[in-house]
Amino acid sequence: MLSNHSNSALTVDKLNKTFKNIKAVSEISFSIQPGDIFAFLGPNGAGKTTTLRILLDIIRADSGKITWNLNGKKDRLPDASQIGYLPEERGLYTDLPVIRSLIYLASIRGMDAHDARRSAIEWLDRLELADRAKEKLQTLSKGNQQKIQFVASILHKPAFAILDEPFSGLDPLNQEKFIGYIKDLQQQGTTILLSSHQMHLVEKIAGKVFFINKGKELMSGALHEIYEKFGINQSIEIRFHGDIPHEKIDNLTGLSEFQPFDGGLVKISFKSGYALNKILAEISTLDGIQAINTTKADLHEIFINLVNDQIP
Amino acid sequence: MNYFKQLTIVTLWEYRRFFKPKNELLGIVIMIMVSFLFYFGGKYALTESEEKQTLLVMENTDSTLVSNLAAHFVVNTIKPTEKQDFLNRIQIKKDGLLLESVDDGFMLYSYKKTKTEKKIRHVLDQFVQLRTMNNLGLNHTVLQKVLQKAEVSEKYFYSENSKGRTIMAYFFAVLMLLAVFLSFAYQFVAITGEKQLKITEQIVSAIKPQVWMDGKILGITLTGLSSMLTYTVIGILGGLLYFQFTGAPVAQILEFIHLPSIVLFICFSLAGILIWNSLLAAVAATITDPNNSGKSSLMLLPILFVVSSFLVMRNPDSQFSVFLSWFPLTSSTAMPMRQAVTEVSFLEIAGALLLLFATFYFFRILAAKIFRVSILISGKEPGFNEIVKLFNQKQ
Repeated sequence: MLSNHSNSALTVDKLNKTFKNIKAVSEISFSIQPGDIFAFLGPNGAGKTTTLRILLDIIRADSGKITWNLNGKKDRLPDASQIGYLPEERGLYTDLPVIRSLIYLASIRGMDAHDARRSAIEWLDRLELADRAKEKLQTLSKGNQQKIQFVASILHKPAFAILDEPFSGLDPLNQEKFIGYIKDLQQQGTTILLSSHQMHLVEKIAGKVFFINKGKELMSGALHEIYEKFGINQSIEIRFHGDIPHEKIDNLTGLSEFQPFDGGLVKISFKSGYALNKILAEISTLDGIQAINTTKADLHEIFINLVNDQIP
Repeated sequence: MNYFKQLTIVTLWEYRRFFKPKNELLGIVIMIMVSFLFYFGGKYALTESEEKQTLLVMENTDSTLVSNLAAHFVVNTIKPTEKQDFLNRIQIKKDGLLLESVDDGFMLYSYKKTKTEKKIRHVLDQFVQLRTMNNLGLNHTVLQKVLQKAEVSEKYFYSENSKGRTIMAYFFAVLMLLAVFLSFAYQFVAITGEKQLKITEQIVSAIKPQVWMDGKILGITLTGLSSMLTYTVIGILGGLLYFQFTGAPVAQILEFIHLPSIVLFICFSLAGILIWNSLLAAVAATITDPNNSGKSSLMLLPILFVVSSFLVMRNPDSQFSVFLSWFPLTSSTAMPMRQAVTEVSFLEIAGALLLLFATFYFFRILAAKIFRVSILISGKEPGFNEIVKLFNQKQ
């Protein structure tokens, strides 16, 4: 659980939500500091979107407490103008001109129509879409529609932006651009809560992460702390002279998972917290080792390890 | 951001999205064209040919009857021996008329029933009447006296139920029907369209479902009212043109305008449209795929209620009519109609109107609640039982 709640922009305490017999969110607690990029990580169906919808009062929690503290004003639910939301389920008025939809969505969040127009034009210019402002959204490519969707969620310059799966459906080039937009948003003072299952992208921008699986917290903390605790030396690349000894690797005590590659190369991941001396002792039992290289585990691997640790 | 500011934004957005003056103008042009087509085309189609049709009669037919028939037909006589040949020919050529006297009556042969039969019957009726008069020894003056109707002078103490007001009641009822029809289409698109485009979640993260629903109801109602207004203006202009062409005094059109009734009709129509829009919105909120929804047919329900209120005109003082004029789903048309043709107390009118607006108030809350529980349901459409269950669950 993340602490230091007093100055937090958002504090969530023991949130619970059950749909029929499925516990979607279970005892979730966290807090987000102003100006942070906080990543909510987990696989599909982990409970990320449900939590975000509860935060926005789209659905109600069965129990738990949410406290917003934006611009010095504590509230159960802040004014719409303070929040930006990019839902996982994307959609805009495809039959209307781009600029019209943008102005409307900013207006219902309290932005003056003239300011919204000016801001929309600035953003469209930045996205190299200024010349298409008056075109219907349906005439734009999927990638460009995604960009418009993103702009629609932050056009009104919110203090807090919730971005649910912001990278989904984007090609690698646009994913990088989106990382840039999110960083810029943070520099402008917006606190960001983003949810994603694309962990390799999140680790490029997030300051703090919260792992969630099956509605429960797996782990949370600052990214560097998590790397220190779980990431270093947890993965080892070994090159063998001849064939990879699959059976022996499979029997290693601390094994989490392994991935063989061509040319006798194998990447072995060990369970979180498994000591390096133990790892080395176990590796020494393998024959035909040509080279060893320890690697820093990425968030994806850390998450897999944590989930595997949960399985009895 | 307060409720009214957001409501104004959503209402205007919906109104501008759906009320398109260009389309409205196109509709009017098409309506005028269709009217012209019906008027002149119908006139042309119904104008009878000046050429007389040929009618065959048997040679023993009464000469007076033959001369009477000759005023309308080219009458030829045939011999009894030629009758069968002619009847065969009628069937082959699918044309021809033969009239034969049978005892005291007549027998008409034709390939199929046409309007000509009516004309022949008219001549025959007159002939038989005259023949009977002659047989009874009556002259024309005596017959006229026998057929004379009772002379009754009328004096009514309640004389507000003028023809003009009745016509106006129908006019407004039809307009309301039009507005409800339009709302049906717009509301359906406005709500299910947003759900299908997956915009809803983004919208309700910024505004409360009640604001969203109220904005939709008001925006679509405004659209319906704008159409009503457009067609009213066109109707009045059309009426003026009609009186201009027919040479009737313009005062006749003024007979239709009774200001207090117009105000009453507008109030009731407004409340009625709001109520139906709320109900339609509630139904639309439960629909995920309008193309395959079993609930789409429910959207036609308003038509049933609005049309049923027309029954008031048959007996405005019956208990059933009183019920219709109070019941919120029918009163929006039934009360103005009843008021147009019979005496209704002010308190009754005010009570029904109050009940209408109160019903609207609760219906809009109901619609927003249904929307709230249906909002995130996608895929399989929830049944009514499911919605009721969701209502009872904590969200």
